[in-house]
Amino acid sequence: MTLNGRLEGKVAIVTGASNGMGAAESKLLASEGAQVIVCDIQGDSGEEVVSEILSEGGKAEYAHCDVTSEMEWKSVIEDTVSKYGGLHVLVNNAGISSTSVEDNLATDAWENIMNINATGVFLGTKTAAEVMKGQGGGSIVNISSIMGFVGGEYGHPAYHASKGAVRIFSKAMAVKYGPYGVRVNTVHPGFMPPMTTSNHPSSGSRDQYVAQTPLRRTGEAIEVAYGVLFLASDEASFVTGTELVIDGGYIAQ
Amino acid sequence: MSSNGIGRLTGKVAVVTGAGSRGEIIGNGQATALLFAREGCKVLLVDSEEENLSRTFRKISDQGGEASFYVGDVSNELDCQKMVELAVNTYGHLNILHNNVGVGGSGTVVEVEAKQWDHVMDVNVKSMMLTSKYAIPEIASSGGGTVINISSISAIRPRGLTPYTVSKGAVIALTKAMAVDHAADKVRVNCILPGPIFSSMTSVNMTEEVRELRRISSPMGIEGSPMDIANAALYLASDESRWVTGISLIVDGGVSLMSPQR
Repeated sequence: MTLNGRLEGKVAIVTGASNGMGAAESKLLASEGAQVIVCDIQGDSGEEVVSEILSEGGKAEYAHCDVTSEMEWKSVIEDTVSKYGGLHVLVNNAGISSTSVEDNLATDAWENIMNINATGVFLGTKTAAEVMKGQGGGSIVNISSIMGFVGGEYGHPAYHASKGAVRIFSKAMAVKYGPYGVRVNTVHPGFMPPMTTSNHPSSGSRDQYVAQTPLRRTGEAIEVAYGVLFLASDEASFVTGTELVIDGGYIAQ
Repeated sequence: MSSNGIGRLTGKVAVVTGAGSRGEIIGNGQATALLFAREGCKVLLVDSEEENLSRTFRKISDQGGEASFYVGDVSNELDCQKMVELAVNTYGHLNILHNNVGVGGSGTVVEVEAKQWDHVMDVNVKSMMLTSKYAIPEIASSGGGTVINISSISAIRPRGLTPYTVSKGAVIALTKAMAVDHAADKVRVNCILPGPIFSSMTSVNMTEEVRELRRISSPMGIEGSPMDIANAALYLASDESRWVTGISLIVDGGVSLMSPQR
């Protein structure tokens, strides 16, 4: 782990941080000097991420946060601020790509996905933005997807909708909180390794999409994490309301 | 690696066009060249004005970085060929092409002279085709790398600068086409869309009133500095963005989120 200090002195919350991209983001932000609050509903794997960060000399702790609960958001953020004196970075990474409901136009599937992917980001962003406003600024990075730009048969319709919501909600919040130095940006990963929570059956069709990616491979979690790091850091202090696409060129074509 | 950097571009070689600055106010190309050098990159600086170029060269030398320079016109094919040859002959390979050269162009299609239109297209678009034409094969044979083109938010939020707007829109299309064409060679191509940056180029004849208007066009109420563009370019130049290609990265303090008076 290299400690270059690009986030020295900053306090960061990452959601969905127990696995995959969230874990990679937490480790990278910590390696750059941030105090990271690793948030998830899966405590065991979350604690493993924390142990790994600590063993590399970084600063991290685990906090339980169900992103669909406004009350849990309030308590995580209040606890963070009272313990560490502020909150500088929030990465809204938690999300699901599908549900166990077979019919992907079932209303309960829509509500489940929208609740976690869109309402979760809404609750986190609004709670954090108010705290950041009070302290003179901060950076919120919301994980959307290339499916927030384009339609397609592969993704769950509600997944597309939820990621589109994240994309445009972030722009609205960038305008609303810009005067207070709070930046809000989105990251749009392309085809990544399947989520641990995914039960999408069609790995065959997934391979086809990967083959259509100009760089001819799936992304790696660390590649998304580096984009998050850029937006979280002061290097992006004039970047707000923007979309950082990390997709191997998929939507450029 | 020179002072303050952390080696994010160690071992890489870059060509930065429009790397000079007209005076003491820093330019986007100059800031990018300085940052690349600070991060351990060897940089060939290109500009049409030797005096402007030497300012950047001196700054890099003073900070302990490695640079050389070429005086040339990037809308001239022979100069583009020579520039790339010089970079490869001097440093052995080429990883990064940063296409920063650009000129302004105001007026509507009714007002603009055809000759002026051609000039803006030559300097802002044809130049990027020509530099890339010679640089991409070298980048590919160096094991891959990246091209960064400077577009503008004027491409997506036009206002009274039609030749400029159209040229910068072409830069976005060129970026995507090149990204798709050369992905198999491990050459990534991305562009940056700067908003109101107070730079060597934009500061010329700018009144304080206009400068303030530019500031308040951003929801953040601030103008950008060439270092903001340089930091975005550094991300795109480094291996941190190795799965990023064909994108338009907006660096504008949120100006393009709305379209207020500016």
